[in-house]
Amino acid sequence: MKTRRPGWRFVLLWLLAGAVAWALLIYPIYVIRPFRYQGARELLVALAVIRFRPIGMVLAVAGVFAAAIWYWRSERRKLRRFLSAVCVVNIAVPAVLSRVNIFELMFHPAGTPTVSAASESKLDGNEMVIAVKVNGSARAFPIRSMSYHHIYNDVVAGEPIVATY
Amino acid sequence: MWRSVIDGLRLTFHLAGINNQNFLMRDEETGTYWQQISGRAVSGPMAGKVLTLVPSDELSFKLWKSEQPQGTVVKDVAAYVHEYSPENWDVEMARARTVLSFPEPGMKQRDIIMGVTAFGASRAFRYDALLREKLVMDHVGLEPVMVAVGPDGASVRIFRRRISGVEPVTDFYRVEGQAALFIDAATGSGWNFQGCAISGKLQGTCLERVETIKDYWFDWRNYHPDTSIFAGTARH
Repeated sequence: MKTRRPGWRFVLLWLLAGAVAWALLIYPIYVIRPFRYQGARELLVALAVIRFRPIGMVLAVAGVFAAAIWYWRSERRKLRRFLSAVCVVNIAVPAVLSRVNIFELMFHPAGTPTVSAASESKLDGNEMVIAVKVNGSARAFPIRSMSYHHIYNDVVAGEPIVATY
Repeated sequence: MWRSVIDGLRLTFHLAGINNQNFLMRDEETGTYWQQISGRAVSGPMAGKVLTLVPSDELSFKLWKSEQPQGTVVKDVAAYVHEYSPENWDVEMARARTVLSFPEPGMKQRDIIMGVTAFGASRAFRYDALLREKLVMDHVGLEPVMVAVGPDGASVRIFRRRISGVEPVTDFYRVEGQAALFIDAATGSGWNFQGCAISGKLQGTCLERVETIKDYWFDWRNYHPDTSIFAGTARH
């Protein structure tokens, strides 16, 4: 029995850390998904989870990694050593996925906007634009592209603005 | 449309989530989450702060270009043009279901409104009613306003009806086939869609613009629970 204890301890720690890591990844996705009602409290919890989960992910990965080193040293069977390494890789999956912004995968960011003169634009006359005038400079943001990118970080006449739609 | 600088810090925003079909953005400098429609920080180090509004208009390109021939237009991002919505995307969106519902006689959840928050009150003007009536004399709170549809038949602007030196508050009437778009009843001066008198006694005078936003009814009502509704003169 004594020889099995290190393995079970490692597996238990891996399961616990894995459950925490996957919960940190999945809960915000579950709450903040399109076409689902977001309650005020659950939204705040989900956003707090996103903000603080890098700490949780680091602790989970570091814990499993340290435990794997400890287990590796006490275990001579190659298959079990290999499985402990798989566990470390496995715990890293939710940690890596948590760094991905799903919304920017669906709607790619526009980057730094480039502009053309109104007189040179090929835009159809009936297309709707969001128009601003800042410090005497006028700029138009076509709605068709805004409805995809949703956000333009821009500077108009030296004034940083964020155009949203 | 918001200023990106708050408390001396310039923020760079990213699309970061959705809150009942109104999106959330996250700034990369502080990690704060901001609500798009209100500019309010809802979570993070700057929670509770509100971005400064930059007045904007939703206009047809031809109308904007006629007013701002020296203006600049943001170009499409070539790599993603093929992913942009089709031209009838608003028709498609009108069919999409909503997760919130605010029943109101004669209103569908995705009816488009022009929303105003000013003078201590909120008011939603049905967009289809405005296009039908073209010029509406109304009030936001106790303040008399004029809601005008542009010469393109699609753009909408709202103005205060108070004119310095003109008492009582005057009505306006739409005119066709002239340089002016409407005239005021008090002096007969002609006014353009920018809210400036271009002929008559008041020539050179401009009305004060009232900020308005085009939105879906359910989204507007969610953030303005006390809003009143303008559904058309015939219904009053």
